[in-house]
Amino acid sequence: MSVPVKEVPFAGTVPSPKTENEGMITGNWRTRRPVLDADKCTNCLICWISCPDSSVNQNADVVSFNLKYCKGCGICNEVCPVGAISLAPELDFED
Amino acid sequence: MGVKKRISGCVATANAVKLADVEVICSYPIRPYTGIMSELARMVADGELDAEFVYGEGEHGQLSVVYGASAAGARAFTGSSGVGVTYAMEVYSPISGERLPLQMAIADRTLDPPGDFGSEQTDALCCRDQGWIQGWASTPQEALDLTLLYYRIGEDPRVLLPQYACQDGYFVSHILGEVDIPDAAQVKEFLPPYKNHHVLDPRNPQIIGAQMEPSMGPGMQYQRYQAIEGSRKVIEEVHEEFGRIFGRKYAPWVEEYMTDDAEVVIFMQGGHAETCKTVVKRLRNLGEKVGLVRLRTFRPFPTQQVRDALGRFKAVGVVDNSVNFGISGAAGVLLTEARTALYGLGDKVPTVGFVAGLGGEMITHDEFYKMFAKLKEVAKAGKADKQSYWLPFEL
Amino acid sequence: MTNLFEEPGLKQITVWARGVYENKEARDVVVAVTEAAALEGKFVQAWENYVDLPDRIYVPVRAYGKISDQEIESKYVYENETPDIVALTEETLVKGVDILAGIKPGAVLVINTKRPAEYLFKFIKKGTENLASIVTVDANSLAKSIITLSGAEGATDASGIGKGMGAALAAAIVKATGIVQFESLLKIVENKNAAKKAFEKAQVVDVKTLVNAG
Ligand code: SF4
Ligand code: SF4
Repeated sequence: MSVPVKEVPFAGTVPSPKTENEGMITGNWRTRRPVLDADKCTNCLICWISCPDSSVNQNADVVSFNLKYCKGCGICNEVCPVGAISLAPELDFED
Repeated sequence: MGVKKRISGCVATANAVKLADVEVICSYPIRPYTGIMSELARMVADGELDAEFVYGEGEHGQLSVVYGASAAGARAFTGSSGVGVTYAMEVYSPISGERLPLQMAIADRTLDPPGDFGSEQTDALCCRDQGWIQGWASTPQEALDLTLLYYRIGEDPRVLLPQYACQDGYFVSHILGEVDIPDAAQVKEFLPPYKNHHVLDPRNPQIIGAQMEPSMGPGMQYQRYQAIEGSRKVIEEVHEEFGRIFGRKYAPWVEEYMTDDAEVVIFMQGGHAETCKTVVKRLRNLGEKVGLVRLRTFRPFPTQQVRDALGRFKAVGVVDNSVNFGISGAAGVLLTEARTALYGLGDKVPTVGFVAGLGGEMITHDEFYKMFAKLKEVAKAGKADKQSYWLPFEL
Repeated sequence: MTNLFEEPGLKQITVWARGVYENKEARDVVVAVTEAAALEGKFVQAWENYVDLPDRIYVPVRAYGKISDQEIESKYVYENETPDIVALTEETLVKGVDILAGIKPGAVLVINTKRPAEYLFKFIKKGTENLASIVTVDANSLAKSIITLSGAEGATDASGIGKGMGAALAAAIVKATGIVQFESLLKIVENKNAAKKAFEKAQVVDVKTLVNAG
């Protein structure tokens, strides 16, 4: 269905998302969820720099994941040098 | 007898290319026409088709490759969509000017913006004045048939012109429909092996596309004009022959659907006409005198046939699935062409333009219903109060 | 006006899948079921959604089928707006994807999963009012998912219709809905073994019992 003219952005120009892109929420692409073992994590941030979707948060002592956008690609699990990230089936979690 | 299969317009076209025994193919990927090339690549890889399959480095390169192949005497095929079609623009005129009857399939895609990959006929219509034969298929079956018809028309020594065989992207190119794939012997009878008329051959050296003096210009253009005008007779003959051999009889210029005793009709081209047919049928059940006239050949434009067909009605709505910003009539090129054809009939046949299905949107049943309602008003008043309507915003 | 264009005999099948990994399997399900219906003299249509992003790994993508006793008039309506059957090639799609959007009353949901319907039902947040039953089948244990670009973009699938897991999912659909004869489906799919086992093993659960339990 065509979007009404008034709702179409002028000249196809849209504000650039600064932190999040509400127009492309990719959390539902995920079939496996990254899970952190905080005891193992050395906070080296290799996962943070490697995540293609900027879905690793680094604003605490240990990393966490932004599950609104994490696609479950598993790269963080692949790159973590100490094996602190495992992948669990998404449906094991109720949230 | 051929075989019946449910295939997409892309696969239908590829099957026709195979049956036409094309010798050189040049590809470059862009949705939605890509399916034609993936299918042809598979056929070549599987040994079903013996052809040179060349990967172009872009659409300009693609057209240059088939241009050269055709000049070297090969039956050549290429295709594209959307901005790919316009990127190759420079090469179209030399191909028709040098009278090389290669074929290009176009599965329509919008130009940017909107930058989506939906269907819109603007891409192919941008090339309408390049001296190529051009028309639209409305089903996968017709996509297959158009490929065969156009090679035969274009290669006729009285014509020698390249052809754009167009189909609406996605709707015709991707949705599977039942197709009767003819057998090779039938196709051989209809389309004999390509015999080039003028060819690059070291035994008889010549220059194709030599630099010409300005004084040659008028004559060169006049030759091409004569070729496209002369093709009208050939187009009719070839359609006749096609019907005889394959049993599918297409009206060469316009297909009329439920137009007997119709008072108002829609005039359009391409796959959306299939949706319009449903609306016509349902309105007929309610006793409404409505019909559809579908244009089959856009270049050369059948001025007289369109005049004869549309001149009988009380109002005609012309659906343009393309943009021509600033054009007279404020709709699209089909409206201006239809009006030109009807010019001289005075106010007898009021015409209204409808721009619809842009950006790849389907033209819905409800939209066609509204168009017919508007046309009934126009027929009653004997004139239109507005030249054109952009759907869905203005109707 | 809407009534004027109604097609009463028309059945719509929508299959959701994961981009790249399961494009073929989703397409195979609709192609297999519609081709089986065509054998029975029905009018059919099968195609893939064009605007989903099929070249992105894991993105939810859709394939569609239509089956009717009469000629299909809405053939260029390019999305199934009111599905009768929804199938998922992968269980996680129950979470965060509006899989039941527009379903007709009495619709059936078929899921490729090892888990019980009760568990999956909890994740479905929208559209369950019209859902009649959930069918579960562990299709992955019966056949592999075939990852291929053959058949993409409307081209011919040279890898074989119903060669992989899609055959099992199609069989579960047929068992739960009777939309075609199982024998017709068997004539189309290549992996007949997977189809037979799935037909036998698929569990059909009435949604009413789930609602009461929940
Ligand atoms: S699974 Fe992929 S998307 Fe999610 S956090 Fe890890 S690297 Fe990022
Ligand atoms: S890569 Fe591993 S150790 Fe390093 S911050 Fe990430 S989880 Fe922690």
